[in-house]
Amino acid sequence: MPKHDTPLLDELEKGPWPSFVTDIKRQAATKPECWDILGQLELSYRDKITHWKHGGIVGVFGYGGGIVGRYSDVPTKFPGVAHFHTVRLNQPSGMYYSTAKLRAICDLWQKYGSGMTNMHGSTGDLVLLGTTTPNLEPLFYELTHNLNQDLGGSGSNLRTPSCCLGKSRCEWACIDTQAVCYAMTMKYQDEIHRPAFPYKFKFKFSGCPNDCVASIARSDLSVIGTWRDNIRIDQAAVKKYLSGEYKSNAGAHSGRDWGKFDIKKEVINLCPTKCMHMEGDTLKIDNAECTRCMHCINVMPRALRPGAEQGATILVGAKAPILDGAQFATMIIPFMKVDAENEFEDLVNIIEGIWDWWMENGKNRERVGESIQRVGLPTFLKVLNVEPIPQHIKEPRSNPYIFWEAEEVEGGWDRDVREFRKRHAQ
Amino acid sequence: MAMSKEELKAAILKKAQTAAKPQLYVKDFYECDPESKPRDVKNAANDLVKEGKMDFWSSGSTTMYAAKGRAKDEEHRG
Ligand code: HEM
Ligand code: HEM
Ligand code: SF4
Ligand code: SF4
Repeated sequence: MPKHDTPLLDELEKGPWPSFVTDIKRQAATKPECWDILGQLELSYRDKITHWKHGGIVGVFGYGGGIVGRYSDVPTKFPGVAHFHTVRLNQPSGMYYSTAKLRAICDLWQKYGSGMTNMHGSTGDLVLLGTTTPNLEPLFYELTHNLNQDLGGSGSNLRTPSCCLGKSRCEWACIDTQAVCYAMTMKYQDEIHRPAFPYKFKFKFSGCPNDCVASIARSDLSVIGTWRDNIRIDQAAVKKYLSGEYKSNAGAHSGRDWGKFDIKKEVINLCPTKCMHMEGDTLKIDNAECTRCMHCINVMPRALRPGAEQGATILVGAKAPILDGAQFATMIIPFMKVDAENEFEDLVNIIEGIWDWWMENGKNRERVGESIQRVGLPTFLKVLNVEPIPQHIKEPRSNPYIFWEAEEVEGGWDRDVREFRKRHAQ
Repeated sequence: MAMSKEELKAAILKKAQTAAKPQLYVKDFYECDPESKPRDVKNAANDLVKEGKMDFWSSGSTTMYAAKGRAKDEEHRG
């Protein structure tokens, strides 16, 4: 495959940063089709339009997801990328791999694909970029038989669930994110591998409100670890922060001299609900007002810890469509136990309640967050049998009306519309 | 009463073969039997793919269904 002239792309090799152009040129030494990636991209830079097409019936037998068909719209110019399908692999919970596994995946991809990978795609999958239709089945055979590695989700499937590293390394984790992520992945294999919904559906699990997998922004169902008792305070350690013996933020910002630690300026005044104060050198927290933002805990991890009664908050409906704009997930259930002992029963009930409703009521290509916007949160809460609480409200009232249903008012009422219309024209 | 699985599959396949558009959303099959639950319709449609009578057509973000031979890869479009 001939080398192409790429003056525009070459500009991207001149900066001090690592360059994907240099990487792809290096890859072209063993995979000449990579020259055609550069050639086609150079053409796109000149034409100011993409030359990729995507979509089609490509896949592996029995699966309706995991492979995204991708084609060049100028295949005669760039035959090396005439087919350039993307393969998604289900990453392990917390994204831990042995080096042996990574090497084996890379070797396999060097054999059947372009050798180019993307770790990790925003769904969480390990993404293998660029192969041809005839290579898909042999690749899949070796992945599943030799590497014990499955594909992830794509299309209108449940997307590959993902989680933060949770209890494996992080003492803030309030739920075992890896356990619940793995359990839901295994339970919903059919939904991951075959289309099940009007559109995509994503789960993500974070162990605490720091939300390291950004589940609140990226998932239709976001599970975020939290606590419902009090933040655990070690007052002796608070004093060591005050005296400077312990570095704030675990020393993370020590590259510069920020002056003496000032608990008022750096913690108390930044508490979003203003629920902290000092009595002498004792730190007090009004836990009923704490919104579990994690700020104080992040700054003074040796003095403050999440409470001991732990579970998760369930949020629904994040999305990032280009036209309507991005939307964070809405808090639906403030606290729920997330226990392996009952096979995550409460969570499963919520998940399946949402699916049953959304499959019936969601429109084609409408994320569940958009369906909720369309019908209104009160309707959605009723579907899930969740009692409305003040925390469901996004902002103070702007609508002066309250609509009561007869069964919500003691005694109820009977209404005869025809009788009413005799006196009141429509 | 909801259709049996075989009746449902036959109705879905008929719709996929005769609809004006070659590619249909799973929701388009709900009307094949309004009594069947969406999940049963989805499972019946997926069974037809397993049996080789329909294909999945995926854009990457959404998946549609087509009777065997009716859908095309982007490769073959203009
Ligand atoms: C220059 C002429 C007018 C001015 C400056 C004016 C101004 C206002 C204002 C400030 C309000 C209160 C709005 C609110 O509560 O937010 C109001 C309400 C109202 N005005 Fe006028 N008005 C004018 C003419 C009229 C006329 C000619 C009519 C009837 C034919 C009328 C009927 C009403 C009614 C029925 C309301 C109550 C609406 C409601 O409560 O929903 N107004 N007007
Ligand atoms: C085409 C003409 C009119 C239209 C489209 C119209 C429309 C409306 C609407 C939308 C409201 C608010 C109803 C609600 O929010 O519940 C309203 C309220 C009202 N309108 Fe009209 N209106 C018209 C003419 C008039 C006229 C000519 C009068 C009096 C001479 C009038 C008297 C009122 C009054 C008193 C209210 C307030 C009722 C209340 O607050 O309970 N309207 N109108
Ligand atoms: S989300 Fe919380 S528990 Fe998970 S890794 Fe981040 S800080 Fe730790
Ligand atoms: S977690 Fe956030 S809201 Fe709660 S006390 Fe700390 S700073 Fe305030």
